[in-house]
Amino acid sequence: MRALWQAFVQALRRLGADIRESTDARLLAIPRFLGLLYGPIDGNQSIDQALDKSLRRRLPAFIGWRHSLGGITYFLFIVLVVTGVLLSVHYRPSVQEAYPSIQRIVSTITFGWLVRDVHRWSATLIVVVMLAHMARVFVEAAYLPPRETNWLIGVLLLFLVMAFGSTGYLLPWDQWSYWTVSEALTTVERMPLVGGFVADLARGDPIVSGATLSRFFAAHVIVLPWAALALLSFHFALVRHHGSAPPERLTAAQAGPGRPFFPHHLLRSFMMAALVTAIVITLAVLRPRPIGEIANPEVAPAEIRSTWVVVDVSRALTHLGGGLGFALFALLGIGLALVPIFHRGPARSIRARPRAAVTGALFLAIFLLGWAYGSRLRTVPPVTTEPVPETAAPGDTARAAALPVPDSTQGAR
Amino acid sequence: MTTGRVVSRLLPLLMVPVLAGGHSVPVSAVMTAALRQDAPPVLRSNVRDTTYLCVTCHAENRDAFEQGVHADRGIRCADCHGGNPGADELPAAHAGRFLGKPTKAQTVQLCASCHADPNRMRPYALPSGEMAEFRSSRHGRLLLEAHDTSAPSCVDCHSPHLIRPKDDARSDVYPTNIPITCGRCHSDSTRMAKYGIPTDQVERFERSAHGRVLLEQRDFAAPSCIGCHGSHSALPPSVADVSTVCGRCHVGEAEAFDLGAHGEAAASGKLEGCLGCHSNHDTERVPADQLAATCTKCHAEGTRAYAVGVEMQGYLVQAAADLQSADSGLAALALVGLQTGDARFRYQTAVTAFNEAARAQHQMDMRQLEDLTRRVRSISRDIDAMRASYEERRWEHRLFLGIVWFLALSAISLSWMVLRRLDAQEPGT
Repeated sequence: MRALWQAFVQALRRLGADIRESTDARLLAIPRFLGLLYGPIDGNQSIDQALDKSLRRRLPAFIGWRHSLGGITYFLFIVLVVTGVLLSVHYRPSVQEAYPSIQRIVSTITFGWLVRDVHRWSATLIVVVMLAHMARVFVEAAYLPPRETNWLIGVLLLFLVMAFGSTGYLLPWDQWSYWTVSEALTTVERMPLVGGFVADLARGDPIVSGATLSRFFAAHVIVLPWAALALLSFHFALVRHHGSAPPERLTAAQAGPGRPFFPHHLLRSFMMAALVTAIVITLAVLRPRPIGEIANPEVAPAEIRSTWVVVDVSRALTHLGGGLGFALFALLGIGLALVPIFHRGPARSIRARPRAAVTGALFLAIFLLGWAYGSRLRTVPPVTTEPVPETAAPGDTARAAALPVPDSTQGAR
Repeated sequence: MTTGRVVSRLLPLLMVPVLAGGHSVPVSAVMTAALRQDAPPVLRSNVRDTTYLCVTCHAENRDAFEQGVHADRGIRCADCHGGNPGADELPAAHAGRFLGKPTKAQTVQLCASCHADPNRMRPYALPSGEMAEFRSSRHGRLLLEAHDTSAPSCVDCHSPHLIRPKDDARSDVYPTNIPITCGRCHSDSTRMAKYGIPTDQVERFERSAHGRVLLEQRDFAAPSCIGCHGSHSALPPSVADVSTVCGRCHVGEAEAFDLGAHGEAAASGKLEGCLGCHSNHDTERVPADQLAATCTKCHAEGTRAYAVGVEMQGYLVQAAADLQSADSGLAALALVGLQTGDARFRYQTAVTAFNEAARAQHQMDMRQLEDLTRRVRSISRDIDAMRASYEERRWEHRLFLGIVWFLALSAISLSWMVLRRLDAQEPGT
């Protein structure tokens, strides 16, 4: 038995040695992309040497807990990918099967309810954490050259996350998601220049239908993930290339040699991941997403509930300020996103930038209040009041008096 | 239609007497001549042409008329009013067999000249018995026999020129518009004073169960005024007829009512049928918890009949509560995404049993009532059990949170300790 064990161990060692000698060290880019490594990969070394070198790479001493917000965002993205893959095993993207498949996931698939609600809550938290991450960069003016490109990529990633959420929102195919998406596309349609084209492209039909569901599903699970992969790779490459932005004034402690990525920073990442996982599961258990009735294009629901933070904020703004309120908030956000293009001054402290501070704080305050208000909002779809197509009778009925007077020129030859 | 053709069609008018109201103007002949059987109806979408000059003065009537169904059927002004539509001077236009504005009685005859003729109505799949029905109605007897000009003629309900099909939502006789049409006269206290008829029927109808279903839910299975009174044969149902009239829709309840103790009383005229409990125009379902109170309209408290009412109320109140509980239970289960197809099917069984209980209640069959309400309760308890089972699972999920947080906090604590030790070993700390 002992000889057998030794033979097994030797075989494993030989296998390990073979891998070390034959495997390209650049394969380590995969675990690096997953956040398990940080430093550059030395492709001229063997894989074990390159791994060791990468693990021992030190990060600056000023890297603190606040820098973990970006990592948490990425962790939530990974959670979304994993839970999304699990959901896609059982979800069926067709008008007939989408809603029953969601019911099946929730009620009969083992831990299906948990996977679905973790996916849903991660979709909400990723927006919040992403905004917090951007707020940190904004406050520290970490977007200043040479990092301004990465800020803009971050903005694109935010739009990408919103596109993920928007396309995923329709997939349950219940009355709430159906009518919310219908309303949203109607709003998009009214936008000047490209609104009609974009809405038609998204809908694929005169109304939200099976064609829309197919398009949203394809975008959600095929198109957007590839776009996310490309943008994330670029974002991470730039972070590694330029490093994190140091504080305006480094203290003696912050100017120190820093800590190696492994195990110090990996342990910190692990702690944050454990905390975030527990929080997401807690939210999923305590606040599961309710499901409306199955989507029915012919009957508007008695009420619409929203189930995603962006929809919450949008509905709150539209409800309180109308289209103008929503447009102003969007302009405020776009203005903040474009700040790095105009900010070239040496002052980095937020105290030296009172206007930027007030604008950013205003944006976050509106966002949080809108989230709180919108999540409690119960609205009904707007009723389209079409003009009376034909003229009514002149005469003596009370009803006729309420209708438009007939146009005597109508039908004249 | 040329002027000569119109004149040639009007000639036979001289030969045809008119019966209506003793008037000597041959009104029905106007239509008879104009729409001879050998002249098939011509479909025309536009009655405006330069040779037809009535519109020179009567443009407002043309605007209304051309939107109506008769314009499409080739009917023209002269077909009803006579005269010479080709003349451009007033005396010539109103000369000859000019009828002008017909009286109410003439109007009835004028309409009947086509609408009482099965051969003319057949191409349009319209009935031809309205005239006979109208003659038998209260309205018809007042107008044609008593010559009461306050009574309505055809155009009081259908409008004189703008006559739309009854399935056109703008028509005066569209189901949801009928209460307004009837109310034009029946809500007029001045006009109704001499008949001694109350004028709050429409108001009461709108509040009633029938009115709410018809006007708010737009469910045309509910009756409007004509559902009970008839349209052309409009008459208030007699006391003896009430059960029959209501039973046309409420078949089960009416049958059960006739079989029960109240049916005998109604048949003998001691009880005004369904109205005794449900009223007429403000027809309302008697709420389950008001059943015994309704019995006191006729039966004194403490009597055996009242005790039966109290017992029935007990069963029905319980069944209504059970049904409500099942309904809210199903809604809660659906809201969390559980598949409720089978449970909904069972719920429908409970609803059917509850409705059948109403029938048993009308028959006052206590045994059947008990059976049915027990069935409702059984299904309701099953659905409640499903809900309780789900709530229990929710609690289990919360317990699962304990494990999650234990693992997470343990991992964080251990990592923290390791991190502190590593930090202590780092140079410069």
